[in-house]
Formats: sequence, C-alpha cells, structure tokens
Amino acid sequence: MAVMDLNPLWISLKTALVATAITFILGIIVARWMARCEFKGKSLLDGIFILPLVLPPTVVGFILLWFLGRNGWLGSFFFEIGRPVVFSWSATVIAAAVVSFPLMYQTARGAFEQIDANIEDAARTLGASEGTVFWRITIPMAWPGIAAGTILAFARSLGEFGATLMLAGNIPGRTQTIPVAIYFLVEGGKQQQALIWVLVILLISFVSIVTLNYWKKYQRRFSRHPVREVTADS
Amino acid sequence: MAILGPSGCGKTMTLKCIAGLMTPDQGKIVLNEQALFDSQQKINLPARQRKIGFLFQNYALFPHLTVHENIAFGIRQLPVAQRNERVQQLLGKMRLDRFGHRYPVELSGGQQQRVALARALAPEPEVLLLDEPFSALDTQVKERLEAELLEIQSEFQGHVLFVTHNLAEAYRLSSKMAVYETGGLLQWGERNTIIECPANKTVARITGMENIFDGIVSGIEGSRVDIRLGAGYLSLCPDSLNGLVVNQEISAAIRPEYVKLADSQGENCLTAELVEGKEELSFYSYTFQLQGKTNVKAHISKSTGLRLETGKIYHLYLPPQNLVIIGE
Repeated sequence: MAVMDLNPLWISLKTALVATAITFILGIIVARWMARCEFKGKSLLDGIFILPLVLPPTVVGFILLWFLGRNGWLGSFFFEIGRPVVFSWSATVIAAAVVSFPLMYQTARGAFEQIDANIEDAARTLGASEGTVFWRITIPMAWPGIAAGTILAFARSLGEFGATLMLAGNIPGRTQTIPVAIYFLVEGGKQQQALIWVLVILLISFVSIVTLNYWKKYQRRFSRHPVREVTADS
Repeated sequence: MAILGPSGCGKTMTLKCIAGLMTPDQGKIVLNEQALFDSQQKINLPARQRKIGFLFQNYALFPHLTVHENIAFGIRQLPVAQRNERVQQLLGKMRLDRFGHRYPVELSGGQQQRVALARALAPEPEVLLLDEPFSALDTQVKERLEAELLEIQSEFQGHVLFVTHNLAEAYRLSSKMAVYETGGLLQWGERNTIIECPANKTVARITGMENIFDGIVSGIEGSRVDIRLGAGYLSLCPDSLNGLVVNQEISAAIRPEYVKLADSQGENCLTAELVEGKEELSFYSYTFQLQGKTNVKAHISKSTGLRLETGKIYHLYLPPQNLVIIGE
C-alpha cells in the first residue's frame, strides 16, 4: 500500500480545534446571556440558535453559501478584499462551527440555568463584582456542562460533512477533511483506504466520549460523597 | 427586628431591595445615614458596596467550595494569614472546627446554616439580613440555632433584620417587629405594642389576636369606655380616649389566652355556647359562640384541669385590662 496522505487528518484536527474554540467562546457568551435575560422574542432567537442542529447539513451549507458565496451578502465583501471564503480552509471552520454551535449553546445554557440565582446573589452581597461572580462562581458551577458541551461540539465538528462539502468543497490538502475524504475514497472504489479513515474517526470520537464520561465523574467532586448527617455535632 | 407576614407578601423582596439584589420602583433606603438607594436622586449602590450580610432561605452556599473557602469568600482581599485567622475564629464560634475542609453537601441542614451565617458575618457587615432562617429545619435543631442566633445578635455590632411567617419566632428573637401584608407595611414598633395593641384588624389577625367584637360606644366615664355588643356589654380602659364619642361604631379585641371562665354572670362577662374544643400541646383551645353567631376563642391552660363539654353554655370573663380598641 502506498504511503498514506495524512493531510485529511491534520486538516480535520485543525478545523475541529479552531471551530470548537469559536463555539466555546460564542456558546458561553450567548448561553449566559440567554439564561439570565428576559426579552420579547427570546424563544424565537433560541429556535434560530438550535436550528443548525436539526437542519440537514446540506441545507445549512446552502444557507451559508447564500451568505458567504461570491454574490452573497458577506461573501462579496471577502471577495472584494481578495480573501474569498468559499473553497478555503476557513470555510471548513465556519461550516464546522455553525453545526456544532447548538450543542455547545444548549448544554452550556442548561448548565447556567441550573445555577440557583441566590448563589450568585450571595456572592454579590459578599462584595464580589460581576466579573468575580462570573469567574469564581458561575463558570466553576457550570463547568461540568460547559466541558460536556465542548467535547460534544468537538466531536460534531470533526464529523461535519454536508455543509463542509457545500461550502468548502473537496480540495485535497486544503479543505479535504476526513469525512469528505472517506466519501470520495468510497466513491472511487478505494474501500481499504476509506476503512483506515473510518477507524481513525471511530477512535477519536470514542476517546472524546469516554473522556467526557470520566470528566463528568471527576467534576462531580462536590457531590462525590453521599449526603450524610454528622451526628456528633448538631 | 423581625418582619412578620404571610407567604408571598413581599418580605423577601424587601430584604433583597435592602441588599441591592432587586431595585425598587421608587423610594429611599438609608443605612446609618448613608443612602443606599434613592429613586429621586438616582442613587443605587450595587450590592457589593452595601456592606450587608444576607442569609438566604436555602443558604445558597457555594457548592464547589469547601466550608473554609465559603467563609473566606467575603474576605478575599485580606492577607492570607489574617483571612485564615478570621475563618478559624468563625468556625470555632459556629462549632464547625472539624468541618473546614468539607463541601456543603457533606453537612447537615443545621451545619449548612451555620456555615452560611459565618460566611455572611465574615466581612463584618453593618446589617445582617436573615430570610426565613429556620423554616427548613426540624424543631430541635431550630431551638438550638435560635439560641445561637440570639447570642450572635448580642455580640454583633450592627443591626439584625429577619423575615418570618411565624409569630412566635418573631416574638422570641427580636425586640421590634414590622407586620406586612401583600406588599404593604401595616404596623411596626416594639414587639409588645404590636402584640397587645394591633393597629388594625389585619394586624390583629396576623398576630393571633383572634377575638374581635364589633360594637357601639354606649358610655364614656373618666377613662372607662362601655361598649354595647349584640351579645352584651364590655367595659375597658384604653390608654387614651382618642376622640371617642358615644354611639360611635368601634371594635374591641382580646387575645384568646386572656379569656377566662367565670362562675356566673357579671361585669365583662358574656354568655356563650361551646361549639368546638381542641387539645393543643399545653392548653385547650375552645371556640364559643355568642348570641348573634360571633365566635370567641379561649386558650385554657391544662393546669386548671378544666375540661369543657361542647353544646353547654358557659360564662366568659374578658378582663378590661386585656381588652383593646382597634381600628379597621
């Protein structure tokens, strides 16, 4: 067997990491905001944020092309400045970030909403600024949820296919991620090579999910022990 | 001072407004001559600058921090040695010395509350606000904590303000009381004034002054006022006559524990039929019905050994010194 082209692996990893970093930050900001603010049209906005999760990736890809294509609303701007988005590496990142965002957003929002508002208020009465409340109380308390969302988002970014193919195409060495490579290998009758990539994806995804499970256990540090009465006192 | 009132009447909201966790629509909150909030002058100090300790009903401990870290949270700015010393001192005071390294979930309800109290006291606030501090605890733990709270109250330099729906608790723990109902303050003052002389019928009901008689002033002699009821006459000696006139409609009230049984008809006696008898822990609670269907409740101490029979007619003596006139 010829030496394998490892480019799809690096592109996939790079894409998934950058996309996860973007969804991590955006997801936390948006989730926190949605969890604590009340305004008109909130459920509508929530629907829009969740939509990429339920839409067929080809539909997401179509909509992204519509925005970012050469004649698109944003795409024309990037084309003007000489950095067209379509068929570039950043397109793989955008596609992966958009489809993985709902997972991060939803999980983080759930985690934020579970925090008793009194606990944050208690910190305020103890002299904590909003920043201190966020970093010392909110984030640590929501951390198990945020970590779970991050890992799910990473796994989803890694597996993104439909929207990536539509927006970024299949350019070996530039936009060809593992899932895209698998598709074209199978189409070209190269089952053996496709199988290797399938195993690579299986391995990475499996490790991610197992990590998530261990992480959850570890993060339950503060409820690790069963609640028990201490009878010697009180 | 205690804020007393039924659930959902705005007691907790009042505390949250004082602490700066909620913003009132209008008004003024002044603490030791410093305005914390003033809707006219647009002053609204954030919670972190108000130096107010808040004990939440559900304690709101930080679950991801140990007991030690919880208490130290409010004094983060102190140097480590000083901070640890203060935490140790509070742990000792609250009898939590052995629990500093534990997480809140590993403690019992009473211990959690003591941690919450220590955490609120650590930064030496000027006011301590307690929101229903004992509602989630069982009787024994509660009694002990009440005793501890009284002790802390006596050592504490600032004011203590606590909210409860339990009259007995409010009376035991504070010298001043404010009575609330659905968002409004009805009366505030010394606890005995509130209990003995409620400002109106609502306060009377909330503070357990259950016997209220509507009548007409039939005569005024010196400091003595006679009132005609449907079922007889009552005399009483109010502190001030306060513009009372003959034939004025008026309400007189008496607490059930002051109602006595009399052997025969006489002054300030009413004749009534016993309609219901309930046995409480330390007294019998009897409900009598006067002519005209007005009910009178009497708490008769068990030590009298009296057991009354429902359906029988009794004479009730309402001592003039325990009867008060109340407004609407």
